[in-house]
Amino acid sequence: MNIPSSSKTNLSVGILLVGSVSWALLGAGLQVLATLQLLVPSLAYLVPIPWIGYGHIAPLVSFLFTYGWIASGFLGVLLILIPRISGILSPSGRLLTGAAIVWQFAVLVGMAEILWSGSTGLISLPFSRSVTALFLLSYLILGSALSRGLGGSWKSGPLLPRLYLLGALLALPLGLGTAEVLLRGGLAPGALQIIMQFVWHSFLYHLWLTPLALVFLFQLLPALTGRPAGSLSLGLLSWIATIGFGGWVGNSLASEGPMPSWLQSAGVIATLLLGVAVLGNTLLLKPLLDGKWEECRRQVSLRFFAVGFWSYFASYAWLAFLALPGVRQTTTFTMVGQATQALLIFSFYGNVLAGAVYSLLPASRSIGWPSHPALTLHFWFTTLGAALIALAYALAGIFQGLALNDPGVPMSTISSYLRPFLVVALAGQLFWWLGQLAFSSIFFASLLKLFPSVAPVAIFPPDREATKQSLTPAHP
Amino acid sequence: MKSSHALILVFLLLLLTWAGQVALGFFQVGRMEPILDEETNYPKPPAASGLAQTGARVFASEGCLECHSLSARGPTGSADLTRGWGPRRSVPRDYLFREPALIGLSRVGSDLSNIGLRVPETKDLMLHLYNPRQRNAKSNCPPHPWLFDTRLAGTGIENEALPLPSRDWQQLLPTYKAKALVAYLQSLRTDYSLPEAPLK
Repeated sequence: MNIPSSSKTNLSVGILLVGSVSWALLGAGLQVLATLQLLVPSLAYLVPIPWIGYGHIAPLVSFLFTYGWIASGFLGVLLILIPRISGILSPSGRLLTGAAIVWQFAVLVGMAEILWSGSTGLISLPFSRSVTALFLLSYLILGSALSRGLGGSWKSGPLLPRLYLLGALLALPLGLGTAEVLLRGGLAPGALQIIMQFVWHSFLYHLWLTPLALVFLFQLLPALTGRPAGSLSLGLLSWIATIGFGGWVGNSLASEGPMPSWLQSAGVIATLLLGVAVLGNTLLLKPLLDGKWEECRRQVSLRFFAVGFWSYFASYAWLAFLALPGVRQTTTFTMVGQATQALLIFSFYGNVLAGAVYSLLPASRSIGWPSHPALTLHFWFTTLGAALIALAYALAGIFQGLALNDPGVPMSTISSYLRPFLVVALAGQLFWWLGQLAFSSIFFASLLKLFPSVAPVAIFPPDREATKQSLTPAHP
Repeated sequence: MKSSHALILVFLLLLLTWAGQVALGFFQVGRMEPILDEETNYPKPPAASGLAQTGARVFASEGCLECHSLSARGPTGSADLTRGWGPRRSVPRDYLFREPALIGLSRVGSDLSNIGLRVPETKDLMLHLYNPRQRNAKSNCPPHPWLFDTRLAGTGIENEALPLPSRDWQQLLPTYKAKALVAYLQSLRTDYSLPEAPLK
């Protein structure tokens, strides 16, 4: 991969990535606190403080992970990647730095608002209008810089990453802008507000963050494995299906109530058709990893990408399962929502982001990732943590749904059913936090150049068996 | 594929997604009107008071939606009505005067779309907000003591004071937020018949 140096964007990339890592750590800590409160409700009676109560912390965690960790991180690594694949350097470093600071400031203000005065209660829009304005202002600058990279090299290099980037670049301002105007501008009466909340929820995850993650998978996996993605026609079909159906997925999460029936049915059909798009992308990306087991074992970024890719498939297969008639009615308003969030945010976006940081940051800042045990800790703790969280919430949600549908089971009994699952989820969250701590230690140390540049690309430290085998002289 | 073609295609797909849901949704539910009761001439659903609308914001800011839904389903495919969470299912018209219109995320606690019907007494709701375990020892709902002020009782206990044993001549009085929240909770009731969801 041809990677020219670019010092103009370095500061903005640094701000976005440092913010991303810091918000992830904070969010993970608060997530543990929220689950503890759900597990031991008496804690709220011992320390009745409003701003650390479950009602404030739970929406804050979701906000910090989505806007702080993932969005900030994706924008940071895109600022490294896009100028390198397009060959067009970003216009003004100062402007980009300002935009990166504004994004972090928006997250900070949003956090303070949710802690102090609570969430707005709107799905995926828990902050005030001023925070939306800050996000849109920052994105206008960052998005413009990224879109410059699209035009110059349209005919050269892989097409799919550019197409996904194009979709994602347009989806955020359209979704967030209209949600803001309609929901808080008084233009959407009654039940239309709820429809708009689900539309924005779908735009945020399935039309913005998922396409951004696919940019990295389609651009970096071929580069890391040395294999091109197969059929362009299949890729184009999957892209059209992703952009065309992604915005409808949220409707399948509602069952009856304020949502018109046809919108719910449309949501179910869109989710199932999006599953076909995901299958198409899986067929394109899977051959890149076939037979690359040893490389995945060795190379940190490739291993994170591999897990991120399979999590992409698992997340949307799970969403398609939840959309099935019967399953949907049972699991609406249960903890399966947290399972979906864990799969999407921790497993899919989180692993793709980690893979992109490990792969792109060293080249951008001329730093090396040492072959340090923290790399292994980061991978295993975050993977195990994410798997435990998703599994615990998925099972908890299914049991909760079945019990809620049995009128003979009192609510207090349902709460007691959930406790073992919450314990497992809590263990998963602690593992994930430890993994993230390991990553931050090596990230900050590398950023401050405390390690010598021993390896431009992160390599896992060899395990003891492999070391022993390599040290044992071969018998003649 | 040319970049301009791709741009137009993406824009059309996003526009179709947006218009298909929001514009069609507007024509279906955004232009709904209340039904006038033939006997009383009151609108159904009833318009919420200003205090109740403030209460909706307090409800959201306290994070009640993290554990309570605001949508009763059924009678088929769900046990909501059998559980006594409402006399009928919720329909889009029920949300006509709700500002903001909220639906909730999870059901760690019960559905509240008819809490005004199930727990109509102000004192009961206030007590639940102050200490949910006062009424139900097994409750998982967190207490909200910050919604109440502790003041000296003076010559007598005020009418609004919580009926709880007090120390040192003090009384617990609900703040404006608590009153608004209770007004909102009391406004949540679907004991009126609609053409699309008649009471049985």
